[in-house]
Amino acid sequence: METVLTVDSLVTRFGSQVVHDGVSFNVRYGEVVALIGGSGSGKSVLLRAIIGLARPTSGRIELLGQDVWKSGPVAMDELRSRFGVLFQDGALFSSLTVAENVAVPFLEHTALPKDLIAPLVGFKLALVGLPPEAGMKFPAQLSGGMRKRAALARALALEPDLLFLDEPTSGLDPVGAREFYRLLRALADSLGLTVFFLTHDLDMLVSIADRVIALSAGRVIADGTVSAVRESREPWLQAYFSSRA
Amino acid sequence: MDEPLPSPKWIERRVEDGRPVLCLTGVWRLAHVEGIANRLRELRLDSREPLLLDGSRLEALDTAAGFILLKHLAGAGYTRALVTPRGFDPRYEQVLALVLDRMATAPSAAHTVHLGLVQRVGAAVLGLLRLLKAHVNFVGVVTLELASLVRRPGRFRHRETVSQFEAVCIDAVPIVALVNFLIGVVIAYVLGVQAQRYGATLFVADGIALGISRELSPILSSVLVAGRSGAAFTAQIGTMKVEEEIDAISTLGLSPIQVLVIPRLVALMVALPLLVFVGDVAGIAGGLLVGTSLLDIAPQVFMERVHAALEVRHFVVGLAKAPVFAAIVAIIACGMGLMVSRDARSLGANTTSTVVQCIVWVIVLDAVFAVAFQRLGI
Repeated sequence: METVLTVDSLVTRFGSQVVHDGVSFNVRYGEVVALIGGSGSGKSVLLRAIIGLARPTSGRIELLGQDVWKSGPVAMDELRSRFGVLFQDGALFSSLTVAENVAVPFLEHTALPKDLIAPLVGFKLALVGLPPEAGMKFPAQLSGGMRKRAALARALALEPDLLFLDEPTSGLDPVGAREFYRLLRALADSLGLTVFFLTHDLDMLVSIADRVIALSAGRVIADGTVSAVRESREPWLQAYFSSRA
Repeated sequence: MDEPLPSPKWIERRVEDGRPVLCLTGVWRLAHVEGIANRLRELRLDSREPLLLDGSRLEALDTAAGFILLKHLAGAGYTRALVTPRGFDPRYEQVLALVLDRMATAPSAAHTVHLGLVQRVGAAVLGLLRLLKAHVNFVGVVTLELASLVRRPGRFRHRETVSQFEAVCIDAVPIVALVNFLIGVVIAYVLGVQAQRYGATLFVADGIALGISRELSPILSSVLVAGRSGAAFTAQIGTMKVEEEIDAISTLGLSPIQVLVIPRLVALMVALPLLVFVGDVAGIAGGLLVGTSLLDIAPQVFMERVHAALEVRHFVVGLAKAPVFAAIVAIIACGMGLMVSRDARSLGANTTSTVVQCIVWVIVLDAVFAVAFQRLGI
């Protein structure tokens, strides 16, 4: 099975503060991988380094066959159309409607005519379980769960091979959270998507993750299936997995 | 060397045992959706006969292409029963199953409404009336809070007021001085050029003294303050509104008006007369510069003329307008800040609107004052 993401000896330093001290792992095609770690363990910074938003101090990140930090702007543009990102609160453009938001990738990266884009946008909204009326609303008028779905629709617009999600269930009620991560798993299974997500949500982790990577003190302290990582003797991991009431 | 046969574009139509077969070939991906849609239209499918869909020569299939295909088939009248898939890779079968499952609820394209000119004018007027109503309401709220201060002066927040005063007044002195100085120069020059024809250059001093202190300094200083402090108030309070800090103030048992609005209002009402005074001095200095360098008026002569022409009432009229303008700017700016809503456009739009509203109202009120003072003979 091919590897879609390789992180090799990543070091990130801000002044004297070391956030990542040699992080290495890889993600294979079709896997659903979770990244966990305490607050301040550098998960978000790692995600931003992978998707090309924050340059690391040293190390290599290879995404879909390209070195992220050695690629020129044209190559990066092409790479960006092959993965989708769901930011923590959706990061929908607040001055556009939901439908206009989902249309942005189509308008910017394809030459499709408007009469083809409109039904495709409608289909993406239906794919993530949004009702037809949601398309004409502005993000501020939607609930948190619907915003995340809209953002997921936008992230899926260009049929990406890989999906990154930053704490996808944060701010959602337990039922909404469960519906959301089940949707993610169903889409991943049907579309052969590789999914890489950061999470604090133990239920999501246990329900849909094929593999878990745990980050602590700037290093990977565990990397394996959920059941394997559960057996870890690392104190933080033991506390994490016993935190359910 | 034989030319390779041209590959059939997207769909090859065949007949097998009297049944129509559509052979899907190539890379069925988003990038090629337009070509696929055109080919589908070309085929002119007829839903009276059952159809066989052959996917054995598909190199790729994503949901976009799958959706276009199934939408077209549904649009042509095909039902599930009439279409039989054959030879699809299980991955692509899954994609088609997913698309089929979800596409039933796909909404139709949104129908945008374009408003005509008359409707837009009407909507704008109604919007302005709503805004006016909101401002009047806000004036009422602030007045009530001020009244409660009279009863309990201990509630007045002097630290915030002094801090606002520093930002509004002290930091604004250089720019108010500069702008008024330059206007003094310009007006003195324009007046001087005309006055030279009648040999009356000395009366430039009169013009400068009265013009600057009665009208120009109050207006310019207020406009500068509106742009500087008015915009700042709206942006600060607006950001706090979005971050729910205003709600936090209320839940802590404090009044947002007392904490945020009244210090700014008081600071501005004290600061603007002072700034107008600075403007008066700077404007007259500008006129003096032009008078001595271009119009050959000796400095002492110029200043004596200013002294004679500038009766106290002119000076006071200018200063008296300042607190009124200050109140207008503060009320509009704080009110617009509190009306900011949660989207990115709202903060920018409200800040811009504050500056525009303040400038317009200052000019309008100035005109009202001009007429009123003229009638009163001041």
